Amino acid sequence: MNELETKAARQASLIYTAISLVITFLFLGLTFVTGESYNLVARIGGMIWIFVLSMIVSMPIIIPAVKKRVVG
Amino acid sequence: MNSEMEKENVEQVSLPVQGMTCAACVAKVEKTLKSITGVQKVNVNLMSGKVSVSYMPDKAGVPQMVKAIQDVGYVVPEEEVLLTVRGMSCAACVAKIEKGVKGLPGVTSVVVNLPAESTKVKFYPGAVDKSRIKKEIKALGYEASEKLSGQAALDSEKEARQKELRYQTRNMWIAWPLAVIVMVGMFRDMWIFPYFVPEFLGNPYVLWAISTPIAFIPGAQFFKHSWNGLKRGATDMNLLYATGIGAAYIIATINTFWPDAGFGGRGATFFESVALLTTFIVLGRYLEAITRGKTSEAIRKLMSLQARTARVIRNGQEVDIATDEVEIGDIVVVRPGESIPVDGEVVEGYSSVDEAMITGESIPVEKRAGSSVIGATINKTGSFKFKATKVGSETALAQIIKMVEDAQATKAPIQKLADLVAGHFIAGVHVLALIVFFIWFFFGYNAFFSPDSQFILSPYSLAEVGVFGFALLLSVTTLIISCPCALGLATPSAIMAGTGKGAENGILFKGADAVEASSKLNAVVFDKTGTLTKGEPSVTDVFVSPGFVHNDILRLAAMSEKPSEHPLGEAIVRGAKDKGLNIDDVERFEAIPGYGIRASYQGQEILLGNRRLMKQEKIAIGNLNAKMEQFEEEGKTAMLMAIDGQAAGIIAVADTLKENAKVAVERLYHMGVEVAMITGDNRRTAEAIARQVGIKTVLAEVLPQDKAEEVKKLQAKGYKVAMVGDGINDAPALAQAEVGIAIGSGTDVAKETGDVILIKDDIRDVVGAIEIGRATMRKIKQNLIWAFVYNITGIPLAAGILYPVTGLLVSPELASFFMALSSFSVTMNTLLLKRFQPSFKKDKNKSETMPVHMAQSAR
Repeated sequence: MNELETKAARQASLIYTAISLVITFLFLGLTFVTGESYNLVARIGGMIWIFVLSMIVSMPIIIPAVKKRVVG
Repeated sequence: MNSEMEKENVEQVSLPVQGMTCAACVAKVEKTLKSITGVQKVNVNLMSGKVSVSYMPDKAGVPQMVKAIQDVGYVVPEEEVLLTVRGMSCAACVAKIEKGVKGLPGVTSVVVNLPAESTKVKFYPGAVDKSRIKKEIKALGYEASEKLSGQAALDSEKEARQKELRYQTRNMWIAWPLAVIVMVGMFRDMWIFPYFVPEFLGNPYVLWAISTPIAFIPGAQFFKHSWNGLKRGATDMNLLYATGIGAAYIIATINTFWPDAGFGGRGATFFESVALLTTFIVLGRYLEAITRGKTSEAIRKLMSLQARTARVIRNGQEVDIATDEVEIGDIVVVRPGESIPVDGEVVEGYSSVDEAMITGESIPVEKRAGSSVIGATINKTGSFKFKATKVGSETALAQIIKMVEDAQATKAPIQKLADLVAGHFIAGVHVLALIVFFIWFFFGYNAFFSPDSQFILSPYSLAEVGVFGFALLLSVTTLIISCPCALGLATPSAIMAGTGKGAENGILFKGADAVEASSKLNAVVFDKTGTLTKGEPSVTDVFVSPGFVHNDILRLAAMSEKPSEHPLGEAIVRGAKDKGLNIDDVERFEAIPGYGIRASYQGQEILLGNRRLMKQEKIAIGNLNAKMEQFEEEGKTAMLMAIDGQAAGIIAVADTLKENAKVAVERLYHMGVEVAMITGDNRRTAEAIARQVGIKTVLAEVLPQDKAEEVKKLQAKGYKVAMVGDGINDAPALAQAEVGIAIGSGTDVAKETGDVILIKDDIRDVVGAIEIGRATMRKIKQNLIWAFVYNITGIPLAAGILYPVTGLLVSPELASFFMALSSFSVTMNTLLLKRFQPSFKKDKNKSETMPVHMAQSAR
C-alpha cells in the first residue's frame, strides 16, 4: 500500500466510523423516545449490532469513493 | 509547502504509444498530454514508442490520457491477461474482484467467470502490470495466478480442486461430528435422549467448548475472507456468514458465562445455531468443491486428449519424445490405437482415424499419403507416418481449447441483471438486516412476540429471549438466507456447459453472447455456393438418344473434354473416372469459344456444346430439346452431344447439394425458423437449387458486397438473423447478422470470422448450434428463476413476515441449509445439460441401435 492509499484508507475510516456512530446514536435516541422501556442490555446490545451492520454497509461505499478521490 | 504536497501526490506512468513516426508526432503527443489538468511532466521516447507521464492522480487519470492520445490519432495498445482465481464462491466475489481490479489505474476491462475460476483483464501496460493485478486480487483474499495451458493447466486445476476438496473435507470431519454432539447435548432433556445421553453433554460450558472449534476452525475461512475484503471496501457472502456465525456465537457465549446479562440467559444459548449454521455452510462449500468444474468437463476432456509423447524419426531412428518437443517438419510415426500427437500431413501408410473428439463426426476418416491429420485424434487400424505441420499452440486442439476458454471467459447479456443484483446484494442485505432489526426491536417484538414461539422444524422454544435477542435472531437469519450464490452460478455455469457441449459436437461458440444470440434466432440465411452446395460442379444426368450407350457417351465426352481446362469439362472427366471408365486421349481437339468443343477419336467426330453449336453444324436435336429445357429448369447446365453428325445425348452438370442440406432446412422450418438462400447466381438456377433443398425465400443475383445489405433488410423486418457462409467471402454479411456462422472451416478455427464456427462441413450443425443455444438459455432462465424465487421468498420468510400469523420463525441453521441447497440445486440443474444431444445426433444414435433390434426380430 503506497502513501496515497494509506491516506485514503485513513480518511475513509474516519468517515465510515462517523456515519456508523451517527446511526448507532440515532438508535440509542430512539430507545428513549419511543415510549417503551428497554433495559441496558437491549440498548447496548442493539447499539453494538447496529454499529457493526452500519460499518459493514458504509465501508464498501466510502472506501472506494475516498480512494477514487485521493488516488485517482 | 504547496509544492511539497503536490510532489507527494504525484504518480508516474509509462504508456506505450503506436503510430508515432517523427519528431512532430512526439511534439503533438507531448502537447496533448500537457494540456490535461493535473499532468505535470511528459516525456515521449520515439525510439521505444513510450510516453512517460508524471501526473496528480486526484486531477488526471490514465483513461483520460489514453483518450487524449487516441483523439490525436495514435494507438495505445492494450494487453490482456487471463488469470486463474481461486477462492471465489458467489456472485458477490465476482463483483468484489471486478470492482477491485477495475479500480487500478490503467485497467480497462475485467471479466470474472465464477465456475471457470478465471479472470480476464485488459489493461494498458506501463500504467499497471500483471503482478500488480495479481497482488490486488490476492489482497482481496483470493489466490491469483496466470492461467496455464494444455497439460500444465490440467494438472494445476486438478491439484487446486483436490486441495480445496481436501480442505473442505477436513472441515466437514470437524464440523459434522461436533455439530451432532452439540445437537444431542442441546436436546438432552427431551424425548428419549435422557436415557442414553450423558448428563455432562447438556452442560452449557461443555456445549460452548464443543461449539467454539466449529465456529473458529471450519468457520475461520469466512472471517478471514470477509475481513480481507472489508478492509479494502469490498464485500462478499463470506461477510454474511461471518456476521451470522459471529453474532450467534457471541450471544451463546454471553448467555453461557453471564446468564444474567439479559440476552435470554441459559435458555437461549443457541449453540445448535452456531454449530449447524457453520456446518451447513461448510456442507455447501464441500458440495461446491465437488460439483465445481463438472460444468467445464468438456474442455478438460479435450485437454486430456493431448498425447503426452510422440514417436518421431530422428537421425533415421524412431525415438519417443514429449509432444511439446515435436518440431514442424518432424516425421511422426503412429501405430494402431495410438493418439496422434500434433497436426500434420500423411507421407506414408494407410489407416482410418477417429476424429469424433475434434469434429464430432463419429465415422472414422480414411487417411492416405497427402491426407491431413489432426492432433489428439485416434488412429484406428493401420500404421502411418506423417510430417508435423502444426505444433504447440498452433494445433487444432490448442486453438479449439483457446476458443472455448475465451468464450467461457465472456459474459452473456442476460448475466448483466444477475451481476447488477449480486453486486449490490451484500450491502442491500445488510441494510435489510438493519431494517429488520429496527422493526422487530421497536415495533414487532412488543406487538407480536409470544413466549410459545418456535423455529420451523425445531422443538426449541424462544420463551426466554428478550427484545434484543429476538430482533437479532431475525436480523441474522435474514443475512444468512440472502446469500446470492445461486444467482452467481446460474448463468456462467450454464454457459460453460453449453459451450462445452458445442465443442463436443464440433460447434464452437466464440462467446457467451453468441450462445444467447443463437437461442433467439428466427431466420437463417444460407449462402448457396460452398454452403448449401458442394461448390464444384459434377455430372448429374446423362440422357442418351436411342441407339447409343450411356457409358460410351460419358466416356467419349470425358475423352473429348480431357484437354479442356473448363470447370464443366473437368466435372465430366471426374464423373467418368468415378464410374471407372477408361479415358483415352483423343486424336484431335478444338475448343470453339462460346459454342463448345470438337474432337475426333478412332474416326468418330465428336461435338459437345450448346444449341448454337448444333445449329451451326446443322445437327437436328429433335426431342432432345425438351429434355434440355427440363434440365435447365432444374438449374443444371446441359450440354448436347453429337457423334458423326447425329445427336447422341445430353450431359447435365450442376453444383450439387451437400448431403444433409435438405434435412437441415426441413428441421429449421420445423423449429419455426425462417430459411432463406442468398446467391450471386441467376434467379432460375437459384430457384432450382432452392426447390431441391426446400427453401422458399430466394435472394438471387446478389453481389458479394451486397449480401450484408440483404441481411440488414431481413433484420429491418424484425428477424433475428443468422448468416451461414464460408467465413471469408461472406465476412461482411456474417458480421452484419446477429450470429455469423462459418461452416466447414476445418480445423484452422482461429482464422475464421463469425460468432459460431462449425468444424465439420455439415449443415445440420447449424441446427445443432441453435438447439444448443436454446437449451443453454433454457437452463439459464430456469437457474435465474430458481435463484430469484429462492431469494424473493426466502428473505421475507427469514425476516419474520409469517410470524405475526403463524408464530413460526426460520432458524439461522435452517436458513443456512436452504442457502446451501439453492446453489447445489442450480449446479445440479446445469449438469443436466450434459445429457443434452442435438436432434441429429440423437436421431443418429437411435438409428444406430435400430438395425440390431430389427435383425434380431427377423430371426
